Amino acid sequence: MKRVALAVLAALAFVAACTPAKKKPDEIVFWEFWPADVITPLVRQFEAENPGKHVRIEQLTWDNGRDKITAAVAAGQPPDLCELGSTYMPRFLASGALSDWSAGVADLRDSLRGWELCKVGDAIYGMPWVLGTRALFYNKTLFAKAHLDSTKPPETWDELYAACARIQQLGHGVHGYGVSLNDRQKLFKKFMPFAWGNGGEILSAGLDSSRFDSPQNVEALEFYLKLRKVGMLGLQDALDQEFKEGRLGLQISGAWLLKQIPKEAPGLRYGVALVPKPAMDRGEHASFAGGEVLVSFTGSKRKEDALRLARFLVRPANALALASSAQSVQPANVGADTAAFYRERPDQQVMIRQFATARFTPNHVEWDAIEQVIEEEVEQALYDRKSARRAVADASARIDELVGKK
Amino acid sequence: MRAYSRATAWALLSPWVLAFAVFGLYPFAFSLGASLTDYSPIRAGATRFVGLANYAQACTSREFWNALANTGWFVLGSIPFTTLAALGLALAVQPSFRGRTPFRVGFFLPSVVSVVVLSLVFKGLYAPGGSLDALLGALHLPAPAWLQDPRTALPAIMAMDVWSASGYYMIIFLAGLESIPRDLYDAARLDGAGAWARLTTITLPLLRPTLAFVLVVNTIRSLQIFAEVFVMTRGGPLGRTTTVVYYLYEQAFSRFHLGYASAVAWLLFAISLLLAVVQMRAVNAREQAVR
Repeated sequence: MKRVALAVLAALAFVAACTPAKKKPDEIVFWEFWPADVITPLVRQFEAENPGKHVRIEQLTWDNGRDKITAAVAAGQPPDLCELGSTYMPRFLASGALSDWSAGVADLRDSLRGWELCKVGDAIYGMPWVLGTRALFYNKTLFAKAHLDSTKPPETWDELYAACARIQQLGHGVHGYGVSLNDRQKLFKKFMPFAWGNGGEILSAGLDSSRFDSPQNVEALEFYLKLRKVGMLGLQDALDQEFKEGRLGLQISGAWLLKQIPKEAPGLRYGVALVPKPAMDRGEHASFAGGEVLVSFTGSKRKEDALRLARFLVRPANALALASSAQSVQPANVGADTAAFYRERPDQQVMIRQFATARFTPNHVEWDAIEQVIEEEVEQALYDRKSARRAVADASARIDELVGKK
Repeated sequence: MRAYSRATAWALLSPWVLAFAVFGLYPFAFSLGASLTDYSPIRAGATRFVGLANYAQACTSREFWNALANTGWFVLGSIPFTTLAALGLALAVQPSFRGRTPFRVGFFLPSVVSVVVLSLVFKGLYAPGGSLDALLGALHLPAPAWLQDPRTALPAIMAMDVWSASGYYMIIFLAGLESIPRDLYDAARLDGAGAWARLTTITLPLLRPTLAFVLVVNTIRSLQIFAEVFVMTRGGPLGRTTTVVYYLYEQAFSRFHLGYASAVAWLLFAISLLLAVVQMRAVNAREQAVR
């Protein structure tokens, strides 16, 4: 009998171990992607300002964060407040799983940029927190070695190509341009700046048909393919590494380099510039715009508190505190670039200036699939399986299929 | 007494039964149900029954067939090498000789290390300018961009898999070798049989059940290859390393087509089951013929 009792006890212990820990009554559950040293001080400050409120922070990673959020929403146990990357937004917006914040954020409309990321019609389902874009990074030492003026980064496609060609000629493992291979959700951000800058589009204004098959996009892809001759092919990590090690002349990359370079390659002399445009008299310095959005879910238990915490986090001083500590993003607040932190850091300021001509991607439910189609077809062209014209036409046909599905 | 011992048995089994029901049977049944619907985890309320439409969609999807073909190549390209390497290693480290243990441990070690860690190490090894390139460069051999070249990406992952899995199957072969009665070898030696004859007439025939086990288990495991792809290539380049499980993961967690992904999982299950049955039959039929 003793043995039965023991076994039953073991089973009970197992069940008890499987039951989730009860959360405290006044606890706001906040899921986010920042390291603890970046986010915790802000959250503690919120708690100090709001006695009785306690925030439980759970840190997600970009590798599996979306899986965790999805599982939590499916299980009916979403966090109260959650940080979502802009690429996650279209599917979540279409799902109806996000809490409508239209009324709660009405007064913030003019003070933040990036509402495009969380809007469906006039309804708003989140709050832009920090934004990110891509710009041109160039190595000043290699510029000097190739007898190029390192104070004048290339502004047009021709200047870019010429600079890359000169640097490529240096040899000894040095390359001119870093052409991105198909890293999912990365190649898109490296290629589309050229297409957008050239006047290319992806979807019609009504988001119901493809506008991808255009001479502008073909021309942009042809230029991107041409850069292979004066550069190297690689995944983003590899290209960033080459850049940090001083073997890559130019590449389009993101502000995370501004944080990594001082730590990992303190001796590197580099500059940041706007993405070159097709020519002085046409096109623009376009780029990709994304960001981090704060949302609450329809199934969240403490929506009011979540909104209160979100409003606290997007205050100019708090968003700046996060962005200046993280350095890989910029605050969504209008006028953030005038803060002393950015005035003293021209490279960071370029990122904010680049933002002015950067494109947000549309909130179409199939957006990530559309992005993947573009990446797959550009990749076909990069591997010479298709001509630029063919790849653009095929991508367009596949996008039409996706948006026709609805 | 009988009722008592039955109760005891159930009570003792209950932790396992409970865990199996919660983490095994329930997800199993759930995914079968989900595969017949358009279930999306983020809008579970609007789920509709779609019958076999997901299965039909998979069977007509170019991407699914591409993933299946890649997985097929992976299985065909890695299992023979893994099996031969494991058998060779087992035969090499079975006889007792001084310093045998470090070899056994060394060969088995990769199986103890997390696949993610191994994949990260190999990703560095295969990277342009990585150790492998340096080695080939020193030998004046051309170094392809292993994981970026559509021709070499899948073989590169296969090579890593063969290297990391051989040690594990070596242990299983060793167990099989130990179970072969010593006197058979002694008798064969007395009859004048050489090493080759002993291998082909005693060792290999008697290892057949072990071989069947290794083949079936390794096939099922190889059909499920995911982590290596997730860490090293994310399905690229040109979709050449998109395996079935990676494809269904993308469908489930990037596109939120969990109903469709469940159908793909069940198709893979059916294929695994079919292959396992065929392999068992083939090995058993031979065994019967030998008898």
